[in-house]
Amino acid sequence: VIVSATERRAARRRTAPDRRTSFDVLKVPLIGRFLRWRYSRIALQTPVLLLSLVMIGHAFWGPQLAPKNLAALLTWVHFRGLVVLVILLAGNLFCMACPFMLPRDLARRWFSPRWEWPRRLRNKWPAIALFVLVLFAYELFDLWSNPWWTGMLIVGYFAAALVVDSLFRRASFCKYVCPVGQFNFLGSTLSPLEVAVRDPGVCADCETKDCIRGRRAENDADTPAGKSKSQLPIIQRGCELALFQPRKVDNLDCTFCLDCVYACPHDNVGILARLPGEQLPVSGPRSGVGTVERRFDMTALATVFTFGALLNAFAMISPVYALERWVADLTGLNVEWPILLGLFAVALVLEPAILLGGAAVITRWGAGVREPVLAIVNRFARSLLPLGFGVWLAHYGFHFFTGFLTVIPVTQSAAENAFGIPLLGEPWWALGGLPESIVFPMELGFLGLGLLGSWMVGWAIARELAPRRTWAGFAPWGVLYLVLFIVAVWIMTQPMDMRGTFLG
Amino acid sequence: LQRHVIWLAIGLMLVLGAGCRPSASDVPGAEADLTLQPDPPTVGDNQVILALTDEAGAPIENADVRLEGNMNHAGMKPSFADLQEVEPGRYAGTLDFTMGGDWFILVTAKLPDGRTLDRKIDVPGVEAK
Repeated sequence: VIVSATERRAARRRTAPDRRTSFDVLKVPLIGRFLRWRYSRIALQTPVLLLSLVMIGHAFWGPQLAPKNLAALLTWVHFRGLVVLVILLAGNLFCMACPFMLPRDLARRWFSPRWEWPRRLRNKWPAIALFVLVLFAYELFDLWSNPWWTGMLIVGYFAAALVVDSLFRRASFCKYVCPVGQFNFLGSTLSPLEVAVRDPGVCADCETKDCIRGRRAENDADTPAGKSKSQLPIIQRGCELALFQPRKVDNLDCTFCLDCVYACPHDNVGILARLPGEQLPVSGPRSGVGTVERRFDMTALATVFTFGALLNAFAMISPVYALERWVADLTGLNVEWPILLGLFAVALVLEPAILLGGAAVITRWGAGVREPVLAIVNRFARSLLPLGFGVWLAHYGFHFFTGFLTVIPVTQSAAENAFGIPLLGEPWWALGGLPESIVFPMELGFLGLGLLGSWMVGWAIARELAPRRTWAGFAPWGVLYLVLFIVAVWIMTQPMDMRGTFLG
Repeated sequence: LQRHVIWLAIGLMLVLGAGCRPSASDVPGAEADLTLQPDPPTVGDNQVILALTDEAGAPIENADVRLEGNMNHAGMKPSFADLQEVEPGRYAGTLDFTMGGDWFILVTAKLPDGRTLDRKIDVPGVEAK
């Protein structure tokens, strides 16, 4: 294996202890003590599981009017909004509190998975397919206005997690299947917190590697005598997503489960502060993830994440009506799904292929890079993430900030319907959220931060790729991000106009 | 602990589900015919005319009529309007559509005889200005 000087420099940057700040959430009073408690994850998952089941109940037996149904409201307004905001302000805390894992952990007490996840599927393609499928179903079935189908989606999630992780070892569902997890993994590359080692020197001297292998019972009176260490039961699992802490880079594939924290015998894993996105430009192998810039599935995932953000927002504004009607008139189609399928194919395949391929061709020509075009695309794909995350933030932030208080009257109404008396008082329907005039500048701020982030990451990648002609290498990507930013701003300035009744 | 949590959650879900019942109109055969101006409706204040007739087609007079407009997307604050009777069985008022898109209007009319008429009327395609 030939390792370039830049890769060696990147490796040194990855392992240099001084790149960390001294802030460690696990050392913060109360919060740190709570998170270091071995059952803290269950304590976080339990209320979310209870809430999920209340949502399922309301989805199937509550009013089938989305604005009055907890499943539709909490899923499409609060959950989505809080996920992106928490990722922005902290880290992947949703995966930490993921309710889907609780039934799975319970099931695994009686039912041990025997199979390894199929080798051919050890990539992001299954999750990409499901990610696109969920986006497509959202548009086709108007999930935002359909409590029953929203409930089915939640139930489907629980069932899928249970089935996959009952059949396959470790966290196969999280790593290879869960589209929400992939969304969170990509978004949390922009988070200010990361689960990481405190002192790499301690890891260098560690002989047990419990953070990845898991901690086994001591060979004492409680365990059968005469057994070797490897035959003893695991009392604390290590990372089920194959992230070996000393070589882990960034938050990709990290669910913040903190198994590594509990397993480490040296108390050397923390939740450390860092600059959001600082590790996106880092090249080279990453534990459990591989070399991101050589994985086309990661490129596809970043592309779907970014262009899917634009598509998901575009599908909620007036011009999409006109576009779909124009296509319907042109083709004579009177059903929506083929038109929507075409829209998805253009937005998620054709458009990115042309734009990313075009930028890579110009970089190759302008900066005199000898790498193939696809390799250049793979390198720069990571730089799409800040802008993509900015678009998700702007879109989901809009719904959340303009409607976060609506949960109060809807809960009051649900309690009244469930118990026959206004247990929580009469619904206070006047509650809404922030006015659009305040939320819109916030949307612009999120998009602006995304553009800035993409420019910075793109510049760092261009500098590594073409140290002497960095400007020439960066320019096409810088222009591309600017164009995508302008498109996103245009979308956000359009009046929301949901196309639930298109073609009847 | 996990087992108890699961059973507690399922119990909660069943209680919530069992208590939820779709509201049914207790004025069978009555009609509520809604007209909006402008047509198609646009974002902002829209004039609403509601004609109420009973099962025999006769106008329903002296009802206490309230409208609640909602977008079909969750998370939007509803708009309310109390309508005044302008002719026998015809009620008028103003309803504010705060955003473009698909809306539905919940009509609640309390009749003089104590019965309540509930209707849901879809208002697709409110146009953004």
